[in-house]
Amino acid sequence: MKGLIIATHADLGAELLRACELIIGPVHCARAISVQRDNGVDQVQEQFQQAILEVGSDGDGVLIMTDMLGGTPANIGAVYMEEGKVDILTGVNLPMVLKFFNSQDDLSLSELANILKAYGQKGVTLVSDLLKK
Amino acid sequence: MSILLTRVDNRLIHGQVLESWVPTINANCIVVANDKIANSAMQKLLMEASVPKGIRVFIGSIDDVADILGSDDLANARIILLFATSSDALSAHQRGVHYSKLNLGNMHAGAGKVKCSCTIALDTDDVENLNSLETAGVTVVSQCVPSDKEVGWQKMLRVTKT
Repeated sequence: MKGLIIATHADLGAELLRACELIIGPVHCARAISVQRDNGVDQVQEQFQQAILEVGSDGDGVLIMTDMLGGTPANIGAVYMEEGKVDILTGVNLPMVLKFFNSQDDLSLSELANILKAYGQKGVTLVSDLLKK
Repeated sequence: MSILLTRVDNRLIHGQVLESWVPTINANCIVVANDKIANSAMQKLLMEASVPKGIRVFIGSIDDVADILGSDDLANARIILLFATSSDALSAHQRGVHYSKLNLGNMHAGAGKVKCSCTIALDTDDVENLNSLETAGVTVVSQCVPSDKEVGWQKMLRVTKT
């Protein structure tokens, strides 16, 4: 199974996983990394190394979701990018995370990442636009 | 060219800079002076890619930063100048980058560092570098994000000594 790391400012990632479990029940191969104001770069790197080892133990690849391109979680996560093995998707939202767990296992990491990117973008709507149709 | 903010931040370009400082002081250009990033094509590319359109980014070594700031290209730029360490800030100042105020943003704890605030930890080298800058006429303050109160760094040091 592919691994998921949600790395965010403060505890957003941990809460997204909690929200996810509230909807679909217990999830596996997932870890959250919370970057706090007083964390040094070394501390965050250590968390990434440990998390990649943990959720990537199956060897099927690891997807890192982060809250914002250009933020510290994405900047530090980018160091661990490795083609076919570790990729980063920014702008994490709940539909994207849910879809990760509801996706088929036989997709490659890059196929899955592209599907989730599109799915996450589709999850952003202005509801009044929907009513205009 | 006007440098609106000169800052020591070991995270360089990140959320606090992009989403808090840039809009508050209405900057349109970020200059990063860092040898490591300047010499890594991959890290340079990633850093440039992470900045929203409309904000220009220049990344150069400590040696190059005076030339970058002096270039015609930046004539009308409203600049945030970033260093990762106090020694980089001092080196650049000694090479002719003359800023009048230095903001200590993020200098996190590590071996031999004494924690002065939530985001600032200094070792004896830092203290020496910052003293040299002050002697050269630079005002050194700490303010992590604009909504924090600006504090003189000497005052922060006194807090750790008591």
